[in-house]
Order: sequence, then C-alpha cells, then structure tokens
Amino acid sequence: MEFLPYVYLTYMFISLYMLILFLMLYIRNKDNFFSYPHSKKEYSVSFIVPAYNEEKTIEDTLKHIFDIDYDNIKEVIVVNDCSKDNTTKIVKNLLKKYKKLKLLNNKKNLGKAGGLNRALKIAKGELIAVVDADSYPSSDSLKKMVGFFEEKDVGAVTCQILSRNKNKFFERLQAIEYQVIAFTRKLLDFVDAIWCTPGPLALYRKKALEDINGFDEYSMTEDIEATWHLASRGWHRRMCLDASVSSTVPQTIKPWFKQRRRWNVGGLQSIYKYRKSIGRQGMLGAFIIPFFIIGLFLGLIGLSIFFYLLIRNTISRYLLTVYSIETNTPILTIENFYITPSFLNYLGIILFLFGLIFTLIMLSILNEKILKKENILTIPFYMIVYLTVYPFIMITAIWHAFRGKRIWR
Amino acid sequence: MFKSQKHIFWQAFIVTISIFVIGLFFGMVLENWRVSKVDNFYQNSEIDLLDIKLQGDIYSQNYFKCEDAVRENIKFADKIFEESRILDRYESSNQLTEKDLFFQHKKYDLLRVSLLLNSLEIKEKCNSSYNNVIYFYNYRNPSLKAQAKQNTFSKILVELKKIKGDDIILIPIAANNNITSVDLLLNRYNVSKENLPVILIDDKRKIYELENVNQILKYF
Repeated sequence: MEFLPYVYLTYMFISLYMLILFLMLYIRNKDNFFSYPHSKKEYSVSFIVPAYNEEKTIEDTLKHIFDIDYDNIKEVIVVNDCSKDNTTKIVKNLLKKYKKLKLLNNKKNLGKAGGLNRALKIAKGELIAVVDADSYPSSDSLKKMVGFFEEKDVGAVTCQILSRNKNKFFERLQAIEYQVIAFTRKLLDFVDAIWCTPGPLALYRKKALEDINGFDEYSMTEDIEATWHLASRGWHRRMCLDASVSSTVPQTIKPWFKQRRRWNVGGLQSIYKYRKSIGRQGMLGAFIIPFFIIGLFLGLIGLSIFFYLLIRNTISRYLLTVYSIETNTPILTIENFYITPSFLNYLGIILFLFGLIFTLIMLSILNEKILKKENILTIPFYMIVYLTVYPFIMITAIWHAFRGKRIWR
Repeated sequence: MFKSQKHIFWQAFIVTISIFVIGLFFGMVLENWRVSKVDNFYQNSEIDLLDIKLQGDIYSQNYFKCEDAVRENIKFADKIFEESRILDRYESSNQLTEKDLFFQHKKYDLLRVSLLLNSLEIKEKCNSSYNNVIYFYNYRNPSLKAQAKQNTFSKILVELKKIKGDDIILIPIAANNNITSVDLLLNRYNVSKENLPVILIDDKRKIYELENVNQILKYF
C-alpha cells in the first residue's frame, strides 16, 4: 500500500466521523432543535451597529432594529468609523425619527472591533446586541434569544443568518452555505462547541464582554476571537435556530473571495493566539481549536495532493501524447476508457452520497424547497465545486497572514 | 439547565470505526474477488501450458504435428496477453491486496518465460516462420518518462499484433521482478535492467528507442 491511499482513508475517516457526529446529534435533539427558553425577566438591551460606508443599507438596518418586538431596548448606537459616503448624514437625519438612536463618530478609523469597544463603554444595557450595518434582524429575534441568558454562565447567543439576496446562482450558493452553517452550528450548540457568534446579529452579556475586555482590535474576525475568548473564560455560547437575521451576501466572486479570505485569516490568527489552549479550557481546547487545525491541514494536504496528481498526470499525458505522435500510434485507445474503480473510489462515492443526503435533509428541515427547479443544479454544484474552492482561499489566507496584511474591509 | 452531550464524541467515534471497518471489509472482499479471478485465469493458463508441453512430448515420441503445436502456442500466447491486461487494470486499482496481485504478476511472468521457452523450442523443431516478440519492461516504480515510453511501446505492440496476427507471438515480461529465470533470460539476450524497456524480435533485433510500427515491420 502506498502513501496516498492512507491519506485518502484518513480523509474519509474524518469526514465520516463528522457526518456521523452531526447525524447522531440531530437524531438525539431533533425534538428541541428549534426550541428556545422563555425569559422570566426582560433584560435591557443596547444595540451597537458599527458602520463604514454603509449608505445603501444603514437606514433599512436601523428600521429593522426599531421594528423589533421587544420592550426593553435601551439604545441603538451607531458607530461611524470615518465613513466617506453619506452614512453620517443618513443617520443624523434618523436621529429625529428614532429617539433611542445615538451616533458615535470616530475621529480616526478604529476598525470594527475598535468601534464596538468604544460603544461598549457607554452602552447601558445588560445585554449587548451587535448588528452589522448591512443586516436585518427579524422582529421576533430578540424575544427568542434572550431566554438563553437565564443561565448565568451563558455569555453569548447567536441566531440563524439568512441570505437576503438569492436571485443569482452565486447568491443561491451562499444561501445554501449559510443554511448548512446554521444547521451545523445548532448541532455544535448541543456539545457546547459554538465557535463563532457572527456579526450580522450576536447577543452578548455585557458582563461577559467586560470579562474578556471587549473585542480584540488586532483580530481580522473579532466575532470568532470574542467567541473563543468567551469559551476560554468559561462562558457558554448558545444558538437560537428559530431566530434569524438576514444579511446581504457578496454578489460577485471578488468581494466573496476577499470576505472568505478575511474569515480564514481571522481563524488563523485565533488559532495562533489560543494555541496554548489546545487540550485545555474545556471545549475550546478539546474540540474547537483541533477542529480548526484539522480542517486547515486537511485543506492544505488535499490541495497539495491535488496539485501533485494534476502535475504528474499532465506530464505523463504530455509525454504519452508526444511519444504517440512520434510513433504514429493513437493517442487514445479503448484501454483509456476502461474504468476499474478501486474500493477507495466506491467509498468516496458512498461518502459523497451520504454528505449529499445529509445536506438535503438539513435544507429540508430548514424549510428550503430542495426540489425547486433552481436548487436541483445549485445543491450538487455547491457540494462538488463550491466547497472545493475553500482550500485555495486558505492558501491565500496563509500568505496574507504571514505578510501581516490587515484586509478586513 | 443546559447539559452538554460530550459523550457523543466517543460514541460517534465507535460508530465511525464500525462503519469504516465494514467498508474496509467490503473493500477486501472486492479486491479478493479480483485476485481470485486473476488466480482462476492463471490456473487455467497453467493447465493450458502444461497441456501444450505434454502435447509436444506426445507428438515427439511418434510424430510431431507442427501445425497443431504452433497454433496452440499462438492461441495460448494471445490468451495470456489478454489476461495480463486485465491483471494490469486490477493492479492499478487494488489498494489493499497489492501484494497478492504482485505475486500473481510474478506467477504470470514465470508462465510467460515458460511460454517463451516452449515457443523457441517449437520454432526450432518445426523451423517455423513466426517471430517471437519479447517485450522486457520495468515493473517497479518506473519514472514518468519510462512509464510513458512503456505505454507507447504497449500501443505499438498491440498495433503490431493487429497487423502481423498469428505471425508473431507477443510475450511481455516484467524484467525487474526478482525472478531468477527472467534474469537468466536478460543475460542470455544481453539486456541490461538499466536500459528498459526493450523489444526483442527473436534473437536478431533489440529496439530500445521508440519507432513507429512501419519501421518495426521492416525488422521482420
């Protein structure tokens, strides 16, 4: 047995393990998958909306926040991080309309985390809701999320993020991805392994944020870092799948690639920062960081093998073609079309089908009509092509992380 | 009160191992089925070879029917040539039972050496006009260049067989499979393992470099 089959078997084992873990988690918890605890008390909530050049969406975002069905919203703080467009003007005009709206103008660009920390100092609520300026929380989101804070050691609660725009094929791919992420994040909730409370809508206990000294201003993904920091300090993170926020996803490949690269750089920074937590600090060291590292290595090794085989086959094919032309023999013969699959091929196909079925189940549970005409092409494309692009993004992320580029915008 | 279900990690691990072992078991079954198929071919071919040799012995005691002996020999050579192609395909796809197929390959090489000797003997006894085309190739880890060259040689030989039909007996032999009788053959034909692959047309001509079929036809 050569080296490569061992690598393939390792891949298959890890993929199968994750699939079975998720499946078992779902089967055991399917009855309370969408449930959420009801709060006995109405916690006071401060919203913080960091904004940088958000003239297209900020008004809608604020409208959605003020439409939220919750009586104890203390304030909505917009932190304007030196926007060069009309964001300031739009928010200033809205100050008259919304009495609880506050505008903080940064004198110099502090970045998202810096802006959040500035607002955190003046926020009065017991809970802090962070909302991206291009995201729109559903009106019942807060009511469904606050109940989780009845447990004193819950530091943050996240919800389902939906794609606001899903008309184009590329947007639909991301919509599917967001649903898969939401589903698996809820599954990880049952083992206290939520690794991110994403920016579109995250609810934090103010005390917990103070405990971790707010958001890390050097991190490219302050939401991942804050979640890991909370986990390292013993705060639980929870997920309310029944609450949602919709967010605008990138419409073209370039901004999408930049966004994903930033996520990956942030992940790498967090791995580096919390590397000493491996094997310690509960689920952070036992699962979350190893899960990230394994994902990173699998992606890189997979990509290396892909290129190795591609180059090898290309050279081989090239030589064979040259020799065939030289000797006037056919370049392709019937032998080339004989397929004798190895058992690894069969295992790979079975595993892919399991993955596909599980994805379809996830989507149908989240009320996605999987037999819809546009989804019939989108879902297989998502699984076969879209996901395989990720290792390439990881490579560029490593390159940027080493060069220390800060590219969060 | 939130209760984490951390025990599910090792439970999932046990289920995964169970499913994985079942998968590996089915993999072994599939590959063993292929090995036993090749083994079956081999056993039949071994019987055929023994049969041809005995036919020769019987004929030589009374009278020798050259036509029959040549025909049977060519038929047998064609048969094991086809079987070797199946063996090659299985070898490239079997992952767990590589060693088993490697031994099958060795057995086939021995069979081919035996066929060659038989073929040389018949050719001499009958003064036949057919040509023995022996193809010595690199079996173990050939370089990409050598592999491409071997693949091209294989295609040339297939073409050659199509043109020459029963006028040639095609005998491909792995030259670096640690078989003493093959090493003796290499010595006899003065072929170095460093210069593989090589095509031998009877004792007369050695072809080391790629040539087209028409050029090779001139050597017959």
